[in-house]
Amino acid sequence: MLKQIELTGADVTKWMNWTSPAVLALSVTSAAHAVQYLSLEQAQKHAFPAATGFAVVQADRIWRAEAGGRLLGFFIFDRVIGKHLYIDYSIALDPAGRIRQVDILAYRESYGGEIRSPTWLAQFVGKSSTSPLQVGNDIRNISGATLSSHHVTEGVKRIMTIANRLK
Amino acid sequence: MRTASNSIRRARPLLGTFVEIAVADAALPAMHAAINAAFAVVRQVHELMSFHEEGSDVSRVNREAWARPVRVHAWTFQVLQTAIELHQRSAGAFDIAVAPVLQAMGLLPLALGDQLPSSDVRASSEAIALLPGRRVRFRHPDTRIDLGGVAKGFAVDRAVDALREHGIAAALVNAGGDLATFGPRAHAIHIRDPRAPDCLLCRLNVISGALASSAGGFDPFVSSHPKGPAIIDPRRRKPPRAILAATVRAPSCILADALTKVVMVAGRSAAPILEHYRAGALVLLADGRVQMTCDFESATCLAA
Repeated sequence: MLKQIELTGADVTKWMNWTSPAVLALSVTSAAHAVQYLSLEQAQKHAFPAATGFAVVQADRIWRAEAGGRLLGFFIFDRVIGKHLYIDYSIALDPAGRIRQVDILAYRESYGGEIRSPTWLAQFVGKSSTSPLQVGNDIRNISGATLSSHHVTEGVKRIMTIANRLK
Repeated sequence: MRTASNSIRRARPLLGTFVEIAVADAALPAMHAAINAAFAVVRQVHELMSFHEEGSDVSRVNREAWARPVRVHAWTFQVLQTAIELHQRSAGAFDIAVAPVLQAMGLLPLALGDQLPSSDVRASSEAIALLPGRRVRFRHPDTRIDLGGVAKGFAVDRAVDALREHGIAAALVNAGGDLATFGPRAHAIHIRDPRAPDCLLCRLNVISGALASSAGGFDPFVSSHPKGPAIIDPRRRKPPRAILAATVRAPSCILADALTKVVMVAGRSAAPILEHYRAGALVLLADGRVQMTCDFESATCLAA
């Protein structure tokens, strides 16, 4: 019995209520989250640092990375829907068509309901990886229930079914 | 971290989520080289500890460790040691051997030729023996492990090491919400509200150390079932009910990651184990109240 009282006492001093949700609710209502990680050119350069040129295989989508006429691999740009908005990503393939790396180029998310606003959505229309997004400087570090990268993984699988036709 | 001219931020799909690395205060080529190295170690941890990849240490152990001792990578062994210590200190609230329960609930896939374990299977880390020479042996034929509750945090710690080894002085590594930071800056960390994932619960300022969050929702590295809960109470074999979400600050991300599960399952009685690991927690209770340990506020500075 005594032990239980001691534990309860310790418990009370260890945990405290936190009460200012009203203030915080205000601070998180306008919360577009858009990150431009790499431009298309930067992603190409990082995937194939030795490349002297990128020859277009399919416009805005597939390039051959070359160095002095020699094939170094392929660079593919793709876009999938994340939770609500597009995720731009790139796949670098070696000359044999195997995946070398997948990079996220741009990631967009929304908080607090602005996804329902057409004007908010309009800012993304026509944006390609070559025209970086500028949604303020609202780059956020977010912790919480983990977001799945499932859509990107599925996108990579889809791309790999057509990548066999390259080379 | 703000993307100033002398800082960069990149992301890759790893560990079933988006792993983001931001570094600052170094020359551009050095920052990219450091980030590449950090992504490479995250990928290595993924390949060693994935439940889903056939060639991972975890899959080999699950296939063979009942029949014979299985030698694993030093990192896998280190994670197993930490996990078993956490199991003991948490009175079973944290348990990497909960995998058969998750399999029975359809949250983890069965390996080829594996039988669905009987309902009385001893799902306990006590069934795992760690032997000299980094070898692992199971004491029970139905034992299966899943490192989903710690691997993300461990990967973040290794990424931080890689960045430091490359001479980086300020960085933030965020693996789907399990994150660690070092350097002179304070980082604003937004906590997602599990009741409405499009909304944020609060903002914390973190100067250095690790932070991880868990909620009753889906965790892609733990569960292959997108509707399934991420966390199961290993003793009741049910999802925890009293706590909707937990955020833990700890000296390392593996501890922060694992302790979120302990707090989700054990609730307020997790206070002593948090204290032991010099960790603090913030929890969202099912009734909507937010509570935290006394040291959490001073260590992280809640910001409105």
